[in-house]
Amino acid sequence: MKSIILLAAVVLLSTTACQSQINNAKTETVKVYGNCGMCETTIEKAANKKKISKADWNEETKMASITYDSKKTTLDAVLKNIALAGYDNQSFLAPDAAYDKLPGCCKYDREKKQVAIVTQPAKDTTKPMQNHGSHQHDGMNNTSQETNQLTVVFDTYFALKDALVKTDGNTASAKAKDLETAINAVKMDKLPMNVHTVWMKVLNDLKEDAEHINGTKDISHQRDHFMSLSKNMYELIKVAKPAETVYYQFCPMANDGKGANWLSKESGVKNPYYGSQMLTCGKTVETIKQ
Amino acid sequence: MAIQKTLCKKVLPLAILFTLLISNLFAQKIVRYDLYVKDTIINFTGKAKRAIAVNGQIPMPTLTFTEGDTAEIYVHNEMNEETSLHWHGLFLPNKEDGVPNLTQMPIKPHTTHIYRFPIIQNGTHWYHSHSGLQEQIGMYGNFVMLKKTNDPTFRKGIDDLPTVPILLSEWTNIKPENIHRMLHNANDYPALKKNAVQSYGEAIKVGHFKTKLKNEWKRMLAMDVSDVYYDKILMNGKPSTDLTRIEGKQLKGGDKVRLRISNGGASSYFWLTYAGGKITVVANDGNDVEPVEVDRLIIAVSETYDVVVTIPAENTAFEFLATTEDRTNSASYYIGNGIKQLVSPQPRLKYFEGMKMMNDMMKMNGDLDDMGMNMSLNQMDMNVVMYPEITGDAKPKQDDKDPNRYNANALADIVTLNYAMLRSPINTALPKDAPVKELKFTLTGNMNRYVWSLDNKVVSEADKILIKKGENIRIVIYNNSMMRHPMHLHGHDFRLLNGQGDNAPLKNIVDIMPMETDTLEFNANVEGDWFFHCHILYHMMSGMGRVFTYENQAANPLIPNPKLAQRKLFADDRKMHFMSQNDFATNGNDGEMMLQNTRWSIGSEWRLGYHDMHGYETETHIGRYLGKMQWLMPFVGFDWRYRKMGIDEQEKNLFGQTNTKDNRAVLSLGVNYTLPMLVRFQTEIFTDGIVRLQLMREDIPVTKRLRFAFMVNTDKEYMAGLNYIFNRNFSLRTHYDSDMGFGAGLTFSY
Repeated sequence: MKSIILLAAVVLLSTTACQSQINNAKTETVKVYGNCGMCETTIEKAANKKKISKADWNEETKMASITYDSKKTTLDAVLKNIALAGYDNQSFLAPDAAYDKLPGCCKYDREKKQVAIVTQPAKDTTKPMQNHGSHQHDGMNNTSQETNQLTVVFDTYFALKDALVKTDGNTASAKAKDLETAINAVKMDKLPMNVHTVWMKVLNDLKEDAEHINGTKDISHQRDHFMSLSKNMYELIKVAKPAETVYYQFCPMANDGKGANWLSKESGVKNPYYGSQMLTCGKTVETIKQ
Repeated sequence: MAIQKTLCKKVLPLAILFTLLISNLFAQKIVRYDLYVKDTIINFTGKAKRAIAVNGQIPMPTLTFTEGDTAEIYVHNEMNEETSLHWHGLFLPNKEDGVPNLTQMPIKPHTTHIYRFPIIQNGTHWYHSHSGLQEQIGMYGNFVMLKKTNDPTFRKGIDDLPTVPILLSEWTNIKPENIHRMLHNANDYPALKKNAVQSYGEAIKVGHFKTKLKNEWKRMLAMDVSDVYYDKILMNGKPSTDLTRIEGKQLKGGDKVRLRISNGGASSYFWLTYAGGKITVVANDGNDVEPVEVDRLIIAVSETYDVVVTIPAENTAFEFLATTEDRTNSASYYIGNGIKQLVSPQPRLKYFEGMKMMNDMMKMNGDLDDMGMNMSLNQMDMNVVMYPEITGDAKPKQDDKDPNRYNANALADIVTLNYAMLRSPINTALPKDAPVKELKFTLTGNMNRYVWSLDNKVVSEADKILIKKGENIRIVIYNNSMMRHPMHLHGHDFRLLNGQGDNAPLKNIVDIMPMETDTLEFNANVEGDWFFHCHILYHMMSGMGRVFTYENQAANPLIPNPKLAQRKLFADDRKMHFMSQNDFATNGNDGEMMLQNTRWSIGSEWRLGYHDMHGYETETHIGRYLGKMQWLMPFVGFDWRYRKMGIDEQEKNLFGQTNTKDNRAVLSLGVNYTLPMLVRFQTEIFTDGIVRLQLMREDIPVTKRLRFAFMVNTDKEYMAGLNYIFNRNFSLRTHYDSDMGFGAGLTFSY
């Protein structure tokens, strides 16, 4: 009899020991944004800390059940680690760099991320509020809409250039995709006549280069297409006039010593054809003012 | 004449009346604070530890004044130890400066001291204890001096923004006295905690074996960008803070916020980054600078920066992150309301790239070689080779001749603040007709023994530096040590000559990186004894500083006995640091005990067997370290040995000298020299004519936790052993000794 009780006690103890690997366990179910099975692995790995916390994420519901030692950590601490791995959740938004690094299939829609209402903090103070009288969009005049249309194209181009400066093929590919979207979104009938003409001329080449850059992660192939993309973009920006000063820059060594150009918002040279290998190679050949 | 007289008669009383009126109008407002300094127990990490709280809080209360006020601060010392408070960066009479044993005697336990001084400047500053290591355990606080609203330098859009003072600090569960002691004994426990041991094993894994070998050949121990491991990083006393409203007003998208940031950390530099875009720097060390936009900045120990950040979107709080320079820990402020947008953490340092860089810079004699780069003002940062966010994750492929290879802003598309970008909005030129006195200092140091000095002299070894009132003092500082140093001048702001001409910024701290040369100048305008020192607490306490003193100045009424005060001031860097260790092994006890300070070392080693056959042996050495790198140490010694027929019966040494006495007590004269590869070479001659040469090294890092030791000498004695480190006090050791044979045991070190 005694031995049975002992055995029972041992069994009981060992099972509780198995179950309660995490002491003072508390479980909560929270939303974590993500797409696929790969996301699940990353999320659970980010939340997992031996004897302190673990998570079980459901791909269908996007809900994570998080178990943690309430004396050693907090739900927010676990969620912060998940966000740092690239996944938005109820408390934290992932750093943009972490999100950008996620593989293509994991790039979920960032519903929680708000559109920035302030993009140029420094210049906002000096500029008086425009169109203060009318708050409706229709009240804005046509010129600003046209600039807006192409501004998105230019901005995505600059983002693509920055990715090439960093020799980051994945991001470059993603940014080229954005560029395609931006190009397709342009309503060319709204463009002024002179801009329209150039747009028609370069449109197909722009699209083709963007597609090629998007279609590969091979940085040298991307850079090849970036040369002609930059040339066409330059022609476009010359007539469209950028929202702020843009620099047309040239590296004599690119393109097997034939040289190649690119556009940049900064006067300092950051070479997209070589990245850190020869970051400051090149010079500004033309300054395009608004 | 007559008219003049009547005019005088009539005008004079009027004038007097007028001045009275004016002085009434601008009557000095006295602002009084009462500070109660008290011991407390605090729990940041799950362990209750001693700390010092003022008015029951850490950090100390934020003191706010407006320019023109008179400050009256009552310090009630309710502890059982002495204290003091230094008002960092303030212009004030010398006796209010708060340096114990220099500008006042320490505030005795259970007494009250009153600091009273007019507020004649504005800006972000802070205050802290200048006594011992109290600053590490809670004695730091914000000190804000506002501009008058009618100040001509009042900047709309900056000085009227919602403002929050933020004090950065660190917390360690280890007593600071113990940290200081361990630093002086090159204890590698902090490196272990930070995963920065940089052992041979780790080096081989990443293909840097040669780098490590060259590093040790040049007699360097593994280096980190900082020395101390901290358990928690705090912003206003908390690792994480939600800033949702300022002065009752809810923050929303589009709002701008000004942060007055002071680095009250005892030894940590912090990287400041923001999730909501650029950081606009608007002031430094309490002085306005022309706004400059950056992606990040590093704040040196005890510096202050005022920055403006924007909340760029609705329903989101943006993380403002302070990360220690070694990137092991951080603290966050979430600015705004809603879901928290994080900023990318600073990636781990590439230590072996740093080691390689140091190898290139270090000459065989311990001097640094900048290879003709003339570095200054933090523009070239050698550490970029270790920053993955600048130089990429992989090994760098840059050309060694690239003049920009250490220029972070040329290498990457993120903008890092450096001193050359700071520009004062006002003309800061010194009086042109004043005589100029030029002083040159070389910052010197020795990591292995944790000795930090100026021109290889610590405070107690150097005379005070005499300057004359009215002189323009120009100081040229070169850093020939392997660590960066934030040099702080008391009581004056200096101009940092940074290429901005008459608009050179005013500062009271200058961070000087290894191999940099910086020039600063100030007008000597307030008499007194002013401390000029490295603000890394443990460097200061090791004596890295000087005292400026004015010729023929009046005596300080708060220092009744200058000789006694000086002796107490000097005691800080003369302090002896104790260490000891003993191996409780199966074949006996092996151990040593040492007392060391800047120059002297008193050490005793012993090997005690468990029976007469194994013998008992002790060696005691009293020596003095010579030279800047302290590789040479002549000593006198005393040896005693008792043994009955050892295992190893060798009684003849390599030179054919015989030694048959089993009971031997002799005096000796000898010299220790640290050879390349950090091997200690000892030559000793004893009173009985016997000569002994010995090679030894005890801390070869094989892997992160494993150390190899060996010893061999001309008495044909030898030893080899392995040590596995558990924690800062215990390790497992196994060794073979020619006298006592094979043994294994537990080593206790203190």
